[in-house]
Amino acid sequence: MQYATVIFIILVLNFFLPRMMPGDPFLILSADTENEIVSVLTEEQREYFKSYYGLDRPLHEQFISYLGSLARGDLGNSIYYKVPVIEAIWLRLPWTALIVVGATVISAISGVLLGLFSARNREKAGDKFLLLGLISFAEIPSFLLGLIILLAFAVRLKIFPLAGAVTPFVHYSGPLDMALDVCYHAALPVITLALTQLTGIYLLVRNTLVTVMTKDYIRTARAKGIGDRLVWTRHALRNALLPVVTRVGFMVGMLMGGSVLVENVFSYPGVGSLLREAVVARDYPLIQGIMLIMAVSILSVNYLVDIIYEHLDPRVASYEAA
Amino acid sequence: MTFDSCNPQKNAPVLRAALKCGSLWLQDHLHAYMDQHLPGYFHQGLSGYSHRSLQNLQKNHSLWQDLSGSICKTASSFTTAGKTALLGLFLIVFVAVFAPLVTNFEPSAISGGSLEPPGPEHILGTDELGMDIWSGICYGARMSLIIGLAVALLSGVGGGVLGLLGGYMGGNWDKLLLRAIDITMALPSFPLLIVIAAFLNPSIVNVILVLVLLSWAKPARIVRSSALAMKKQHYIISARLNGASPAYVIRRHIMPEVLPLLFVSILNIASYAIVAESGLAFLGLGDPTSKSWGMMLHYSTSFRSIYFTPYWQWWLIPPLVALIFLLLCLAFIGRDMERVVDPRLRTGGRS
Repeated sequence: MQYATVIFIILVLNFFLPRMMPGDPFLILSADTENEIVSVLTEEQREYFKSYYGLDRPLHEQFISYLGSLARGDLGNSIYYKVPVIEAIWLRLPWTALIVVGATVISAISGVLLGLFSARNREKAGDKFLLLGLISFAEIPSFLLGLIILLAFAVRLKIFPLAGAVTPFVHYSGPLDMALDVCYHAALPVITLALTQLTGIYLLVRNTLVTVMTKDYIRTARAKGIGDRLVWTRHALRNALLPVVTRVGFMVGMLMGGSVLVENVFSYPGVGSLLREAVVARDYPLIQGIMLIMAVSILSVNYLVDIIYEHLDPRVASYEAA
Repeated sequence: MTFDSCNPQKNAPVLRAALKCGSLWLQDHLHAYMDQHLPGYFHQGLSGYSHRSLQNLQKNHSLWQDLSGSICKTASSFTTAGKTALLGLFLIVFVAVFAPLVTNFEPSAISGGSLEPPGPEHILGTDELGMDIWSGICYGARMSLIIGLAVALLSGVGGGVLGLLGGYMGGNWDKLLLRAIDITMALPSFPLLIVIAAFLNPSIVNVILVLVLLSWAKPARIVRSSALAMKKQHYIISARLNGASPAYVIRRHIMPEVLPLLFVSILNIASYAIVAESGLAFLGLGDPTSKSWGMMLHYSTSFRSIYFTPYWQWWLIPPLVALIFLLLCLAFIGRDMERVVDPRLRTGGRS
């Protein structure tokens, strides 16, 4: 229900923003700036174009036909690329999906491992060092972190490539070769995105573990003579992983937002760089299409997480039923 | 009627009843009792007797004095990192306010050759158009600070007032507010920000307004829930029973408790706004006529093959370092504020 309202608001915004801009698309059809000849349409021609594009109909009718075309997957045509918006996005989407998924997996796994390490060595030097370091890291926004990493690893040390997702003009000897090249190019953006989300997971796991370890069932497990290792992994970590699921879900949304900027830092050819190109070219249909796709995918991931969490944690469902 | 002379809280209804029925003997007794146990009770017009408001009245402090006093007290209980961060923030504010004194050049004046390396005249060198970079940093600080301050104050105060009204008044207004908060929090803020900035003219005012619309929900939710919890406290119920108007209760009892919480969330919003503004500018959606750190990052990273030249060392690094420094300062101040406000963090350590 809440998500439906949000999507509706986004659609309304998307519909009204271009109509709120000052000016009229048919006031000046073409202006040749060099000779300063401005061809102004006559009143008759303007009326014709308005009715041709359906702009003379009442707003609510326009809105309904807009919704209809959206439902058919028609996001309009890109002014700059001269192809349907949906095609332009579709070409770039796999790259964004790759780095977002990569960053999610890496930050989830390393966050859990570091959190486990920190909780086991609580208040020791290693824990304190990790805690302070990661918390400070979390304060740096993704694109600034990306710039630092780019300058350090690609510009100064020259270990990683500066830009792109594959080496240009290269012939691969096999799929393995190609996969390696893709990983090599994706490494820095993925690490940047993962680092921004790592702290959240790490703190969550560490704090939940610390709480869980004070529970009675841990004492029972210890009293039964179960080894330390098994207590930590079987009894403590399993219970601490539950909130991580939710966190990971919401992380995907944040990573998609972050990827817009990070892709531009690394000139990675995903949806984020497409957005910057669209902004530079003032390609409004494309900007709107990207926004819509991103918003809808973020919202659907969040919705999915809500559902999954209910299944994983019976306490939530029973609480809501009661 | 029983009269327990050791428990002023429990006696309040008795006292009130006694005053109303006008029993002379009891009143004499009461005056003596209250002079002894509740000094200052009568000066309050019998409208509340919480410990806090008594103290406030005795010291005869204005709200502003209270606020500045508590800020000083808060600052003195900061950790070393927090104090350093506070100093750093003051430094940035100083540079921003006195920018014309700190640098010799106008930020948008072409004052040197193109892409001069740092030297005695241009401390940090010049950019591709020959504009002084140090001057750009000084004047750019104004942009970040203005955006951060304006968005934080507007959404902090606006969201705070809405949350206070919702939490305190309850009813349909509260339901509406809760719905609005939920929806605002679920909006994917960054994509939305980009589209709005792309369609509207990206002036400072527009950017501030959009950021406020996207960030008022958090302070509103914090204030609402704490007002809701406080409404059920005994001292507030008794103040209301004594005929205190809602405005009085909010001003005297709820505000002092809520303000520190609000302050922490205002700090967080400030850094969110600064990041969002510089991110937009970095994408090329900033106001092209203004000087900001994000715009400097945008121009330097748009410079063709800047990484194969030495230019990034003095063109890209200064705004990068300045932004990170400002954000770290805000973060450390925010963390110390949180520790001061939340007693659980103060006593138990971070666990």
